[in-house]
Amino acid sequence: MTVDTQTIVSVAAYAGGGLAMGLGAIGAAIGEGYTAARANLAVSRSPENSGEIFKNMLVGQAVAESASIFALVIAILLLFLDVPQPTLLKAAALFAAGISMGLGAIGSGVGSGYPGGEACFGISRQPAAASQLTTNMLIGSAVCQTPAIFSMVVALILMFLNLGNSAVNPTWAAYLGAGISMGLAAIGSGYGGGLAAGASCAGIARQPKTAANVTTTMLVGQAVSQTPSIFGLLISFILMFKTFPATGSISAAMALLAAGICMGFGGIGPGIGNGMAAEGAVRWVARNVESAGDLMRIMLVGQAVSQSTAIYAMVVSLVLIFVL
Amino acid sequence: MKEAVSRTQKRYASWALTAAILIGLGFILTGYKPVGKGLVLGTLFSIINFILIAQSLPLGLGKSKRKTFLFSLVSIFLRYALMAIPLVIAVKYDQFNLIAVICGLFAIQLVILADHLFKFIRPGSPGTG
Repeated sequence: MTVDTQTIVSVAAYAGGGLAMGLGAIGAAIGEGYTAARANLAVSRSPENSGEIFKNMLVGQAVAESASIFALVIAILLLFLDVPQPTLLKAAALFAAGISMGLGAIGSGVGSGYPGGEACFGISRQPAAASQLTTNMLIGSAVCQTPAIFSMVVALILMFLNLGNSAVNPTWAAYLGAGISMGLAAIGSGYGGGLAAGASCAGIARQPKTAANVTTTMLVGQAVSQTPSIFGLLISFILMFKTFPATGSISAAMALLAAGICMGFGGIGPGIGNGMAAEGAVRWVARNVESAGDLMRIMLVGQAVSQSTAIYAMVVSLVLIFVL
Repeated sequence: MKEAVSRTQKRYASWALTAAILIGLGFILTGYKPVGKGLVLGTLFSIINFILIAQSLPLGLGKSKRKTFLFSLVSIFLRYALMAIPLVIAVKYDQFNLIAVICGLFAIQLVILADHLFKFIRPGSPGTG
């Protein structure tokens, strides 16, 4: 049986589309499920506020669903887009696009469920603060989507990148590495951002007067939590846009693939760790607003230390790309 | 409970549709017909999806666990299949700009965020209530 290039490109695009939607559905479903579970608890605790809780759940779930809609967009494009000049390199790029989007939507989907759930529960505790809680939930959820948006950008670049005269070997590995780097690194940041946003909704429900301090701490904490995904994005961009000389050796290709894997896995832990540090700070700012300054400083120091492992991963990735 | 959900749904759906029609008309009148048409198409499906979420929330209540699970599963599949339709149309037909359709699919989310961001910046302003 002979397989032509067009068939290989189609297979890669279909597999990429399947991965994009299949993996992309995981996070949003878990996140929306968490929101619904907390809404159940909230309604059972305070049935008289069920209307407000359901309204918040509807709005929260609509925003939490964004990550899976990004995945749907990429999956449909991969399944139906015409490829005028099919090459093996294009096949690698399309498959990598699916990996980037599928993995990249997981963390954001799960993460954006936390503020939704905590806001629903918070309304049962503090019905008067419902509007504040919904606003804070939406801000937190929107920031959680950032890593998924980065992943979609990388996926779109991979799909529409002008391949020109790039050498098939080792560029195929660079494209796969780019997709893996972005997709995996986005998981931790999306999830970590959600932890901070969830804690801020719980904090506002506990002490509505501290809302300004709590939201500020949440936003700073979330911003730092996004850093590992920015490292992932940086490595992806280098892998996608750097020109690699043609080679017959497999080791050069493996170095580029390993660079993506290194940064991708290396970004997961720090993203979650940073989110945990932010979650702790946000929770205690709500309980002890006088110490907000100290709590913010401790959070930032903790996040900086947690971040160091992502920096090590980035350094190793850069060595694999530029030195080996 | 049904009234609160329905009120929210109507408010955001009408805002999104009005914005899409106005912006889409602007594009069409300035010669970017596929962009305008794409934006309205994407927004229409975003609204349908939002309405289906809102309608399915109360319908899932008061049923057995198995029925609620099946109902939710079918509802999710239906909504995702529905969201894929404008994308397939935009990929297949040049009359609809793909980027505009994608932007339109996020119209409801953008309207929700804009409403609450406005309230966050100007706390005294009327909002979702």
